[in-house]
Amino acid sequence: MLRFFRKKPATKPRKRKAAAKKKAAVRKPKAKMPKIKKQKKRKAAPARKPVVKVGTVGTLFEPRAVAVVGASVGKGTGFASPEFFRATVENMQRSFRGRTYAVDLSGRLEGAFKDFKKVRGKAELAVLMLPPEAAVKNMKKLVDAQVKAIVAVPRYDGGAREELSASVRRGVRVLGPNAVMGVLNTRNGLRTNFESGLMPRPGGIAVVSRSNSVGASVLDWACFNGIGVSKFAFVGEGMDVSEPELLDYLSRDNNTRVICVGVGALREGRKFVEAVRKAAEKKPVLVLKGSIAGEQDKIYDAAIRQALAIRVQDVEELLGAADALAKQPPMGGDRVLIISNARGAAVLAADAVYREGLVLAKLSEKAAKVIAQKFPAINVANPIELGAAAGAKHYEHVLKQVLADPDVDGVMVVSALKSRFLEPEDVHAVAEVVKKFKKPVVGVVMGGEDYMLVRDSLQDTTLPAYDLPDKAARALKALRRYGQIREKVGA
Amino acid sequence: MAAKKEIIGLLSSIKSQNRRELLEFEAKRVISAWGIKTTRVELAKDANEAVKVAREIKYPVVLKIASPDIIHKSDAHGIKVGLSSEVEVKHAFDEIVANARTYKPDANILGVTVQEYLPPAREVIVGTLRDPSFGPTVMFGLGGIWVEVLKDVSFRLAPLTADDAREMIQEIKGYPVLAGMRGAPPVDFDALVDLLLKVGQLAAEFPEIEEMDLNPVFVFNEGKGAVAVDARIGLRKE
Repeated sequence: MLRFFRKKPATKPRKRKAAAKKKAAVRKPKAKMPKIKKQKKRKAAPARKPVVKVGTVGTLFEPRAVAVVGASVGKGTGFASPEFFRATVENMQRSFRGRTYAVDLSGRLEGAFKDFKKVRGKAELAVLMLPPEAAVKNMKKLVDAQVKAIVAVPRYDGGAREELSASVRRGVRVLGPNAVMGVLNTRNGLRTNFESGLMPRPGGIAVVSRSNSVGASVLDWACFNGIGVSKFAFVGEGMDVSEPELLDYLSRDNNTRVICVGVGALREGRKFVEAVRKAAEKKPVLVLKGSIAGEQDKIYDAAIRQALAIRVQDVEELLGAADALAKQPPMGGDRVLIISNARGAAVLAADAVYREGLVLAKLSEKAAKVIAQKFPAINVANPIELGAAAGAKHYEHVLKQVLADPDVDGVMVVSALKSRFLEPEDVHAVAEVVKKFKKPVVGVVMGGEDYMLVRDSLQDTTLPAYDLPDKAARALKALRRYGQIREKVGA
Repeated sequence: MAAKKEIIGLLSSIKSQNRRELLEFEAKRVISAWGIKTTRVELAKDANEAVKVAREIKYPVVLKIASPDIIHKSDAHGIKVGLSSEVEVKHAFDEIVANARTYKPDANILGVTVQEYLPPAREVIVGTLRDPSFGPTVMFGLGGIWVEVLKDVSFRLAPLTADDAREMIQEIKGYPVLAGMRGAPPVDFDALVDLLLKVGQLAAEFPEIEEMDLNPVFVFNEGKGAVAVDARIGLRKE
């Protein structure tokens, strides 16, 4: 009776409810029993008190101060090794714009505290990298030092895991355990990982990954390709904070325009679908599935579709589509127009457009006329061939007509630099025009070196660039899918 | 509500007999209670009863073997279609029972079902299955090799919205067959959407239904409806 009653007031469906219940059941002294019948309503409140959260998901990304807790010497292995601890401290001190406290329980690290006394009440977030035995001994002290959230980096089993659950029951929010690279926020420099150089440019893409290895490769890809990231979270085992809460947080985060989710095996598929759907009603959500589905793959497809998310097949497609969605408006129809200074490349692009289930637009007569009037040499069809001599002024003029044409839903600008008169700076003119219209444009620069040059020069613009037409066509497809999703949501 | 009660009754009587597979006429009773159109069907225990039922249903009729031990009725030569007289029905009854005995001598034969005969139409398959992580799902595809060889099927989590249903119809590669090609008119999409919605609700409403297979569903031309011609329902292991 008592337990039934207790269950009800905890309205939010959360894993922690179970933990709370368990605790309530264990803790409830028999002496309290008689009171119940009389004051049902008042009884409910105290039962919830022990699990009142002291931290939020926001604490994980926006802490004022962070304590990195580990041992700089000793037998710690793997993600609890002294080397990783020292590297994380260094990374944080160099990049985090809030205060970083190093807490080295082995007491050897210069400038580090040997215990939690000095960080008490100051560090809101703790990055926990202690070996399991030390974690068992110190977890309670860490929570006593009033941290509000913990990123548990190593894998913890047995006693250490039990201690971590106990912290959750005391209201501390925990990411992990086994949240190997923890969290990252490009706006405040927060990066709780030990790798060197893995800090992407600030941008609009947030990533939540269940798999550490997939997450790490997404991060590496983003850094390498100059793709702008807002926040990154490695969920690890998701003992406390997991996808639904992270999605909810990121959907309300002003710095995040697109959410990427790397999922593993889903035990609670329906819950996931609901959480994704809620976020997807606010902004684009891309899903990369990271577990073997086999025959079930079509069901995943359906689930992701019904969640109003966009499914991608690999890391490259994920970031390619995310970059487009972060920078460009959704596409309102299937009709794509290709503009190019290289015929061969444009033909490949046309095929790529069809492969993605999109179609080539037919330019309106009016637009064709305006283009031909100014540049009679341009072949006005689709693809529109600008010719090898085309420079910024040609691109500008044509793009303006095309983007204003109601018969065109999206544009792919395919360019070659070598043996052409186009310079990386000319591409800026394209980016300037693109900014002025509410129709999506993606750029392709065929090649390796040329692509890198253009990509770098476009980094601060809203024009996404790809090195192959296929990738650009997939990005357009994602923009089209998002257009359809917006229609469904009624926006 | 009445429909729900009736189905609960039907399912629990099956469970009380320790069976997990519903017979065709039982499955049809379930879907028909839920408002899904299906062919009229009655169980006849002997040839004379079969004739009586056939007269009620009106000729021509279809006869099918009714045995919990025979799932693939055509493998057992247990189906006769287009029977249009008493003589044919009597003869077909005896032949079907004899075929079934040859096919599976120890089969428990309840009799033969007499069913309404429908003119040919375009055939689709509508099924449900319970996914371990996503729960009830609805499957849709064209009949025959489209499903068996080409795996040309689409899925949605149940229950569906009308949009979901329409999308899953359009998603399959064989969609043009339904939309009408080579001069054929389009099928009755509204009826098909309605059927998919009802199947989805049924799967979502009754967790004891592990899987359901409406195969074939005859979809007639626009305005002429869609009818489940065969039905199978498997219940969940308790």
